[in-house]
Amino acid sequence: MRRKYILFLIPALLFLFWGCASSDAMKDSDAEPAAEIQYPDPDPEISFLLDTYRESLNEVMGSRVAVVTDTIRFGQPESPLGNLVSDAIRYRAGSELGRFVNIGIIGEISFRLFLTPGDLTLGDVLEFMPYDNHLVVLTLPGYKVAELAHQVADQGGAPVSGLRFRINDGRAAGILVNSQVLDRNRDYLVATSSWVANGGDRYPAVWEYTDRIDLTDVDVRELYIDYFRSRREIHPITDGRLRN
Amino acid sequence: MISRKEFLKQTAYLAAGSALPFWLGENKSSSNNITILYTNDTHARLDPFPDNAVEFAGLGGIARRASLVRQIRREQKNVLLLDAGDVFQGTPWFDMYGGKVDLKLMTEMNYDAMAVGNHEFDRGPEGFAEAAQKAGFPILAANYHVQNTPMNPYVRRLLVKDFGGFRVGIFGLGIQLDGVVPRELHGDVRYRDPEAWARGMARSLREFHRCKYVICLSHLGYSYRDARIDDIKIAQRVEGIDLIIGGHTHTFLDNPVPVTNPAGKTTLISQMGHGGVRLGRIDLNLSERNSPFGTSSRFYTIGKEID
Repeated sequence: MRRKYILFLIPALLFLFWGCASSDAMKDSDAEPAAEIQYPDPDPEISFLLDTYRESLNEVMGSRVAVVTDTIRFGQPESPLGNLVSDAIRYRAGSELGRFVNIGIIGEISFRLFLTPGDLTLGDVLEFMPYDNHLVVLTLPGYKVAELAHQVADQGGAPVSGLRFRINDGRAAGILVNSQVLDRNRDYLVATSSWVANGGDRYPAVWEYTDRIDLTDVDVRELYIDYFRSRREIHPITDGRLRN
Repeated sequence: MISRKEFLKQTAYLAAGSALPFWLGENKSSSNNITILYTNDTHARLDPFPDNAVEFAGLGGIARRASLVRQIRREQKNVLLLDAGDVFQGTPWFDMYGGKVDLKLMTEMNYDAMAVGNHEFDRGPEGFAEAAQKAGFPILAANYHVQNTPMNPYVRRLLVKDFGGFRVGIFGLGIQLDGVVPRELHGDVRYRDPEAWARGMARSLREFHRCKYVICLSHLGYSYRDARIDDIKIAQRVEGIDLIIGGHTHTFLDNPVPVTNPAGKTTLISQMGHGGVRLGRIDLNLSERNSPFGTSSRFYTIGKEID
């Protein structure tokens, strides 16, 4: 009943708005927008068509990758989901190269979901990280790693692995890399996604690498599927790597 | 109740039989309006955003959008439904069906045209062609050279829609491929200067095709601080475009942004974020004589009812 009432009201409201958003108003882009929230019932024909494709989708995408034990979210300064996604790329980069990789970094902006308790399906992981990227390992001099830490601190924290520091007025303080004091004069290996390395995120420090290895066979989405599958159960873990 | 087809026939007849074209007549009924509805960067978001989405939980969904469009079509006789590209990639629907379902459902909704987004290359020109077979509407990119590629049968430069004698021209612009689309994914498709092609398309649509209103479906992006070409720069540098419906940068513009073009006229730029969370709407009132036409804008946020 309530919905019908709203649908009845909408044409009347539209009529009222007509005058508000005239061509004069449009000369000023700061003008009050004529915005409306609409919650129409799904169109039955389109829903029906969509459902004809849904069964195959669910069959493939519904397969279980792992079980999530609790809600796992992004957050600042440190978050269980941020730790999970950055650790995963660092560990995988290490096993691909057969060398110790010092740091993993990726932005929350690359992800579309948080994890909820229960089965984590293939479809969930593909939606979690929806775009095709591959794994990249950069060589950064220590002073660039310090810059990167400051950029992370300036944002209030971001998903990082292998780095520990306090955030003090938007600056990184007491920076440790793999539990050792940051050495500004040595090189570090930093794992990230091709999108971040290509300038897609807010970490300008990683754009000025001294060396770059593109692991084009390692799709970041598949990396997460593999990582979650290998853990079987996923728990939210924080370890104080970033602190205020 | 007359059908849209009959209406167009009747208005064409009326226009032919009167001294003035119908859009300059005194009649102010909705037949003198053209309603432009548009989306961009829907990214395979066929279902609404799930409850555990980081943003927009519960919003969007193609079936709800279709129902809203159907409702607007009942109220308005002359409707254009457009998309500025990146229909592909973003949910498991794309992983499973490679964009076919999206294009099929957009065809059922009577979309008139879409632009080619960079993600339309995610399965290469072959993958694009396979999905595009499901599209019953033209896919526009004036500045992509697609000859001798599998995309050729499906990509066009421009489209002209005739509303009882009032002609609306639509053309598409695609983003640069270098650094955005891997070489192996765009194959032999070549990018050409969007500014030059926009100028050529606007001139052709106005002078040769006698269009009174020109829309650019752009996947260049709204605005960049550096020298990369964007919708703002196209609007500033190219005359003859009335409206740019943009995409790529996922920008939510609450109001169309007016830019003065080289002819001293206004080019409007709009963009509706991403994921089909919003449906944009611009109405042209053809019986108003102010420049260029009486225009009004609004957008709908497509959501679920919250109790």
